Amino acid sequence: MKLSETMTFYETELRRIRKQVYSNQQQLDLVIGIKKLIDANYDSDLNLDMLSFHRFISKYYLLRLFKRYFGLTPKQYLIDKRIEKSKEFLRAGTSVTQTCFAVGFKSLGSFSVLFKEKIGISPKQYQKEQLSRSKLNSNHI
Amino acid sequence: MKISIISIPVRDQEKALKFYTEKLGFIKKLDLPLEGGNRWLTLVSKEAQDGPEILLEPAPLHFEPSKVYQEALLEAGIPYTQFDVEDVQIEYDRLSKLGVEFSMEPMEMGTVKVAVFYDTCGNNIQLVEKI
Repeated sequence: MKLSETMTFYETELRRIRKQVYSNQQQLDLVIGIKKLIDANYDSDLNLDMLSFHRFISKYYLLRLFKRYFGLTPKQYLIDKRIEKSKEFLRAGTSVTQTCFAVGFKSLGSFSVLFKEKIGISPKQYQKEQLSRSKLNSNHI
Repeated sequence: MKISIISIPVRDQEKALKFYTEKLGFIKKLDLPLEGGNRWLTLVSKEAQDGPEILLEPAPLHFEPSKVYQEALLEAGIPYTQFDVEDVQIEYDRLSKLGVEFSMEPMEMGTVKVAVFYDTCGNNIQLVEKI
């Protein structure tokens, strides 16, 4: 339900800013398309060459454009996505090794390092904390 | 340092508690009595119950500048707090059916979609979906 027909100051400003910053719909569609591609294939062996080939654009252009709209490079975005997904696997009780490969990492060592860097604790520690928490909840203590 | 609490100033804590739990679906985490009927009242989101808490604090009732600032933001339609959702349009439809009033309908803004509603306690709240 819309409160009133007149536009608020906020909406007016948002529309003005959008016109200046996000006027290139073609670029927007391109980077959002690439992001969705990463979202759907985070567990496979993605790289910049494949992504740029997929859209017939130079990989350097893609890199610049993606960073301009999302503030992250495609690679950084992919890592964040994989780490987020790995948390789901770990919470469900999947082993650290299985989780690592399930979300697309090739090496257990780099997975553990990246996980610790982003989350602050190791995957093993994270799983331990999460599982003991859910056990507590189910026991209604 | 850890981020654990984000304050939302509300004009009526009880009313806010009802709105934020019954309409928005947050879960009450702490509810401690303070002096003068005020409460230390925090909520968490259902999906992240060990995540950051929002504190519904009665600042506008006791601190004039807070009241003035809140009124000015409200008047201008400016949201000071935002929540992430999977799909803004679905939330917009769901909340509208529950009688929640929107000052801005779902709108794409670059790589996100946003909408703004009124929390019945003095605040505009923005919903955000990453497209």
